[in-house]
Amino acid sequence: MRKQILHLGLTLFIVGLVAAVGLGLTYTVTKKKIAEQDRLSEAKAAVDALPGVKSPSELKLDNALAKKAKKKVPEVQKVYTTSKGTIITIQMKGFGGPMVLAIGIDKDGKVAGVASISNKETIGLGSKALEPAFLDKFKGKNGKSPLEVGKDIQAITGATISSKAVTNEVKTALEAYPQTQ
Amino acid sequence: MDETTTAWHEFSKGFILENPLMKLMVGLCSSLAVSNRVENGIFMGIAVTFVLVFSNIIIAAIRKHIPDQIRIPIFIVVIASFVTIVDLSMKAYFPAVYARLGVWIPLIVVNCIILARAEGFAYRNTVFNSFMDGLGMGAGYTCVLLIMGFIRELLGTGKIVMFNTQLISLGPFNAPAIFILFPGAFLTFGCLMALLQRYEMRKKAVLEVAEPARAKEPAQSEEVA
Repeated sequence: MRKQILHLGLTLFIVGLVAAVGLGLTYTVTKKKIAEQDRLSEAKAAVDALPGVKSPSELKLDNALAKKAKKKVPEVQKVYTTSKGTIITIQMKGFGGPMVLAIGIDKDGKVAGVASISNKETIGLGSKALEPAFLDKFKGKNGKSPLEVGKDIQAITGATISSKAVTNEVKTALEAYPQTQ
Repeated sequence: MDETTTAWHEFSKGFILENPLMKLMVGLCSSLAVSNRVENGIFMGIAVTFVLVFSNIIIAAIRKHIPDQIRIPIFIVVIASFVTIVDLSMKAYFPAVYARLGVWIPLIVVNCIILARAEGFAYRNTVFNSFMDGLGMGAGYTCVLLIMGFIRELLGTGKIVMFNTQLISLGPFNAPAIFILFPGAFLTFGCLMALLQRYEMRKKAVLEVAEPARAKEPAQSEEVA
């Protein structure tokens, strides 16, 4: 009996050990690449959010500003500064889960563009609130602009919650903007 | 049956005779969720086939050393390892697809197709036959995903977009989004299954007219399922 338990335990142990070594190797190989991809996709969205910025190399990540803005507006994730203006990334709840947007604000404090970094909105419905047709509605808005869904911003049919989430994130970015100046 | 026909049978049965989705009806949950785009179907199909083939090979190779009492935990460890490998590699090399398939990739671990093939086939068969079985089952699974993805994407969005290029467009028409949502998955799957049943019933009817004796024989099943 004891011998059998030992045998079973040992077999499981060996299988687990081999699996762990294999996984460790895969993890080491892909770790760098994954971090790089995450950074790239975020930088790409940030570039899209601010017209005039052409490549991610023009972005400067400013951790001190982000920390300062976070104190007032906790939803702020990162702050990038460029010669054309500021890009603020905001994470709030969308319809399907966390939604991270990059909001580009030009030197005059007006929204220059909005781009999605990651979202879990329903494809075909909520995802329409992240297409240019809807995101372009925020261009030119500033901290004083009224941004109320239904009144100032027409929500997309079938995607009211996603439309509201996007609007709220833009509003939040505009609230945080004075902290980054 | 000689060896080549057996191997061919193990491979080809995954398409219609024992198609995991249409006949065995295992692993439906994730397939209904990811079949809203052809492109998703391709990547999900590759991921599932990869895991199926390799877990089948490994399990068949070590089947004589696996004690009966702890076979399930061992299967799960093997399967989970391959799923994690797929998960990490996809995240690293195909981030756009990974973002869309999201949680369904790690969930391949609990996809019944893979455990069912490990328990029902690889545990009792040779490495080569298990490899063929995994390949066939994976290909059958992928085929169904592609057909469903094609129907759902075309009807639900009015176009087929693959790798950032538009392949087919139905022109300007307001596509009913229901097809790329869950109800569309059930509708499409139900219709496909009905079509397959109809096809098989007709085939059987034709056989009965031609060779009444042979058609009555139960379908040959070789492995213990």
